[in-house]
Amino acid sequence: MTDKNVTETLPEKSVFSRRTVLKSAGIGAAGITTAAALAACSKKDDGPKDLDAATVSFVFNGSADQAKSWDALFAGFKEKYPQIDFTAQAIPSASWAEYADTVAVQLAGGAKYDVLNLATEGALLFADKGVVLALDDLIARDQEEMDIALADTHPRLVEFGKKYGPQDGKTYYIPSGGMNCMAAWVNKDVFAKAGLELPTDDWTWDDFLAAGRTIKKKTGAFMFPVTAEYFVGIMPWLTTNGASTMNEDWTVATCDTPQAIEAAEFARQLVVEKLSPAPGGTFDRFELGIKGDLAVFGGGRWPVLAVRAANAVDKYEIFDFPHKGANRGSPVGWAAFPIMKSSPNVDAAWEFVKYLSTSSGATVFATSGGTASPCLKSVAESQDYLADSPVGTEKLYKALDYATAIPSPTKGNLTQRTIEDVWGQIIAGNIKPDAGMKKMQEEVTKLL
Amino acid sequence: MPLRKAKQKQERFTPFLFLSPAILFFCCFILFPLIGAFGYSLITWDFFTQPKFVGLDNYGKLFKDPIALEAVKNTFIFTIASIVTHVGLGLILAVAVNRRIPKFFAYIIRTVFFFPFLLSWSATSIIWSFGLDPTFGVIDFYAGKVGFPQATLISSTWALPTLIMIDLWKTLGFAFIVILAGIQAIPSEISEAARVDGASGLRLFWNITFPLCTPAIFFVSVTAFIGAFQIFEPMYIMTRGGPDNATLSIVQYLHMSAFRNFDIGYGAVISVAIFIVVLIVTLTQFKFAKRWVHEG
Repeated sequence: MTDKNVTETLPEKSVFSRRTVLKSAGIGAAGITTAAALAACSKKDDGPKDLDAATVSFVFNGSADQAKSWDALFAGFKEKYPQIDFTAQAIPSASWAEYADTVAVQLAGGAKYDVLNLATEGALLFADKGVVLALDDLIARDQEEMDIALADTHPRLVEFGKKYGPQDGKTYYIPSGGMNCMAAWVNKDVFAKAGLELPTDDWTWDDFLAAGRTIKKKTGAFMFPVTAEYFVGIMPWLTTNGASTMNEDWTVATCDTPQAIEAAEFARQLVVEKLSPAPGGTFDRFELGIKGDLAVFGGGRWPVLAVRAANAVDKYEIFDFPHKGANRGSPVGWAAFPIMKSSPNVDAAWEFVKYLSTSSGATVFATSGGTASPCLKSVAESQDYLADSPVGTEKLYKALDYATAIPSPTKGNLTQRTIEDVWGQIIAGNIKPDAGMKKMQEEVTKLL
Repeated sequence: MPLRKAKQKQERFTPFLFLSPAILFFCCFILFPLIGAFGYSLITWDFFTQPKFVGLDNYGKLFKDPIALEAVKNTFIFTIASIVTHVGLGLILAVAVNRRIPKFFAYIIRTVFFFPFLLSWSATSIIWSFGLDPTFGVIDFYAGKVGFPQATLISSTWALPTLIMIDLWKTLGFAFIVILAGIQAIPSEISEAARVDGASGLRLFWNITFPLCTPAIFFVSVTAFIGAFQIFEPMYIMTRGGPDNATLSIVQYLHMSAFRNFDIGYGAVISVAIFIVVLIVTLTQFKFAKRWVHEG
């Protein structure tokens, strides 16, 4: 449970100022090839900087199973900047919202960090509290380098960063620290055992249901774990039916639309037909899947760590999430690495942020598996990211084309709890889907 | 003379020296936080921005908050169930073990029941979460086989009773051992004299054993109340207070208010309310204890 949750929603959002975004748009128009080439140039430029000895402390959401990947990332930075005394503090959390809460409490208690790892669920909270530093001056100082990274960043991430960040015209978050969309990780062996062809990216809910019934009948395996996790278990079903929990501005709840109710009904149906383990369980979906007892699980980049650890990369192929009708969908969350206003080591901290946000750090993270897909197209298309990963891994990046930003208003931690609690009751059968989604609508509305 | 005076002064000071670690501990971890909580309850503060003095506004908010009332209701149900089950079953077990059963079995029973008490609530919650997994949980499976409800942690009807049962499993051993110690402290000549006078087993229990172990029962009921009223971990780990706030405890709501909603003032109000309730109930328990607790 922890595994899934920790990685589930990914890193956060970023916010670029209008000026920066407009400037980058011009560069972005130069095209992908140019961007990739520029990114390669930035790699070349990434030599040790003329920095005085300093200390940088970093806090991130990471669990023990991800330690190797993070350590590789940190080692790359230490190698590049030996004069910087770098310390990293992991906070394993059940969700990104919970992680943000924990960091906030730590900061209030006097903890000193220079750089934070934040996901979409938490970015507005920290900016709202005024504890993170506006990066505009630092970006301007290294404009060329940042422009290169920005030009290589998926335009929708840049757009999301601008749209969903603080609206004071300042840049607190750079939207290139990693992101996750949801896709279907399909166990090829289970499909073969059931005598089924592998699905296509166009598969619908009906195809999914039919495959699940066949797999259950012929192999006894579950099709998919239906859960009450906001990013992993709820949003994929909503977005693949053209629904979401909130409107595009995250100002109005949209939980009781016919599409959202239909998504809840479908999720409940999977449980009723026992195509999913009963909700509320503590099973490890990766373990279950790798053992062949689960045909499909949803995930972004993070399952690759478990799949690699079990030498099961070849067992899996990644497809787009099944959708209802033409509504292809996925939630997306992205990472940001803001610098604390209170940091006494802004220059050193900025070097670390740049390292994480440009191709050098992204490449190291991608190679080691990481917990997120790169935001930089050049890295997402490189073998650093695609090697030793299931076929179809590139779709995790391409899903950005149609993904919906995970709604995370300032009180996102509370809305998330409400949404998960009500959805949990729906899939458990405590409340009917339509009544449940109406209740969710009321509760979320109160919090917005 | 001056030497004598100095010695007297030293003698007066010495007891405080010995008490100083306890006093220091009490001040740092109880008195100062308590005063702090009262102070925080008068302000509105979100950790980061400037606190604002709001007087008693936060207290007024508490009585109008339906979620707080639900949490209070859940907590009282949990607490009452906890006291009744711990005292009742603890007493039954203690009496049973105190009877003339082989020492080996008595030892095994004591160990089996007391061992869960040594586990942390986190470990207990995780173990039971696995056991009660509605698809793969061994306990859930066999509960279904014998006709008990399944998937109880996600049922708004059964989640709280399930947590009460888990609490009983974890902490019954403590009540049992304390009451057993109380029973074993009863002088054997009293029971023997009653037997010689022809007292039956039941009469022996009602007239000798129960009255003389009431101090132990009283102690168990007071500690059970204080512990149960402040329950937090199993709700937080196993059910997150759900489904539909069915297992939300008042301490968990305090945590939510202060550390999720960042409303420190309101969180402090809840903590003050908890303190007052625990204080009143405990004092009431002590007051009524004179009527039924045997004073040896």
